[in-house]
Amino acid sequence: MKSLALENLSKTYFDPYRGTQLTAIKDVSLNVKEGDFVAVVGPSGCGKSTILNMIAGFVPVTSGRILVDGREVKGPGPDRGVVFQSHALFPWKTVAENVTFGPKMRGVGKQERAKIAEEYLALAGLSHAADQYPAELSGGMQQRVGVVRALANNPDVLLMDEPFASVDAQTRMTLQEELTRIWEERRPTVVFITHDVSEAVFLANRVVVLSKGLVLEKVEIPLARPRSWERLVEDDKFKALSNQVLQLVRSA
Amino acid sequence: MADEAVIFSPVPYRRTWQAVKFVAPLLLLVLLWQVVVSAFDVNPRIFPDVPTVLRAGWETIANGSLAAHVGASMLRVSVGTVLAIVTAVPLGIAMGVSKGVSDFLTPLFRFFSVLAGIAWIPIATLWFGYGFGAITFVIFNAVFFVVAYNTLLGVSTIPMPLRHAAASLGAGRWQMLTQVLLPGALPNIVTGIRTGMGFAWRGLIAAEMIATNVGLGYMLFLARDFYRTEVIVFAMIVIGLIWLVLDRLLLAPLERATIERWGLVQRS
Repeated sequence: MKSLALENLSKTYFDPYRGTQLTAIKDVSLNVKEGDFVAVVGPSGCGKSTILNMIAGFVPVTSGRILVDGREVKGPGPDRGVVFQSHALFPWKTVAENVTFGPKMRGVGKQERAKIAEEYLALAGLSHAADQYPAELSGGMQQRVGVVRALANNPDVLLMDEPFASVDAQTRMTLQEELTRIWEERRPTVVFITHDVSEAVFLANRVVVLSKGLVLEKVEIPLARPRSWERLVEDDKFKALSNQVLQLVRSA
Repeated sequence: MADEAVIFSPVPYRRTWQAVKFVAPLLLLVLLWQVVVSAFDVNPRIFPDVPTVLRAGWETIANGSLAAHVGASMLRVSVGTVLAIVTAVPLGIAMGVSKGVSDFLTPLFRFFSVLAGIAWIPIATLWFGYGFGAITFVIFNAVFFVVAYNTLLGVSTIPMPLRHAAASLGAGRWQMLTQVLLPGALPNIVTGIRTGMGFAWRGLIAAEMIATNVGLGYMLFLARDFYRTEVIVFAMIVIGLIWLVLDRLLLAPLERATIERWGLVQRS
């Protein structure tokens, strides 16, 4: 896992309905150290998903640079693993085949892939579902597969685009706890996009509040790890930080 | 007996019941045919009774002419269909990955998939002469445009995040094709093949009446020249039955299996 740097990023779109240029990102700079966990929050329309899509290489930047481990991003690549809100699992592949998709693309052999599948499915608590198809899984399980599929490809940076937004509240808390556990174990570099303030504070080392295409504030989250909801839900520091971020988002 | 079947093997029982439900109306029609023809003493030139048709059928089986006609027709359908699939699928995928190209070609494909069929016979006979070439071309046309259009549709309806996911997991162009675009479009491709072959089968009979001297369509046409109404009726039954068997036992299960296996239809 390596560092990520955004240098004076901007993005303008042509809006076909108004016939004008639309500025999604004005000027955003951000450094994410190796092994850091940064959450980006902001009201809808603040440009947070645009930033992730640019880092992933799905949309080109208008100006500025994105550097992963010093190399400039030119398009999608296996150095940046992505976890999608819509899970984006391949419906025609089994859970194990989905998890080992990245290694297969790299030409990793069948036996080695079986080991990778075993390891990462165990990490997600999904060993029993290896041979099932995504459609047979619950929403929470699908999202777990999405997370370990990205991890199993050993990317430099893990990009997560509101991955838990479409699961129920109970499952979401469980998934958040599992993600912190995995992060604490493996320390991947993570950029996590969400509109859920408590999710951002719970997960991240640092929360970036975005507003109208600009960074409004960066808030350090010095909460002790390992983190769990049971502990944090009544924690004064957690409440204070959540409040602080919430005020920023609401003013944004 | 039936009760036991329900208790011990519900699935085979349901299948048998479905088959019975499907065959019963057809048998009833045959029965009605026989009753009407003998009750009104219909002239066999106009419409023969069941035993006459069966005898005529047996005769064509015994002298090998039925096998020759069926064989010729099936060969044309197979060759035309296979050629159409191997050319239409790559083209459909190429169109599906580029929105500009697909926007441009979609109206053309809509046009040609309507036109595909016997409208091509005259020009096909000019190009290929009478016989195998012209008829196979008609089959090819019937299948090609429908499969290409459905492949295009299949590729363009693959959700963008799936392609993004593959790209960010390191899939190159070829891997994108074999791992994402092809399997993603497969249910549509199979639907296209099924629809196209339905057109092709109808077109085949028409083309064989005009442009050849062997095949099921020709068998029909020839029998008319000799006033062999019983052979005409038998050939019509064979044409219908072959398609039913092909569609219900091969194409429909294939389509169902792909769609279900691929998880694109919600299972409850």
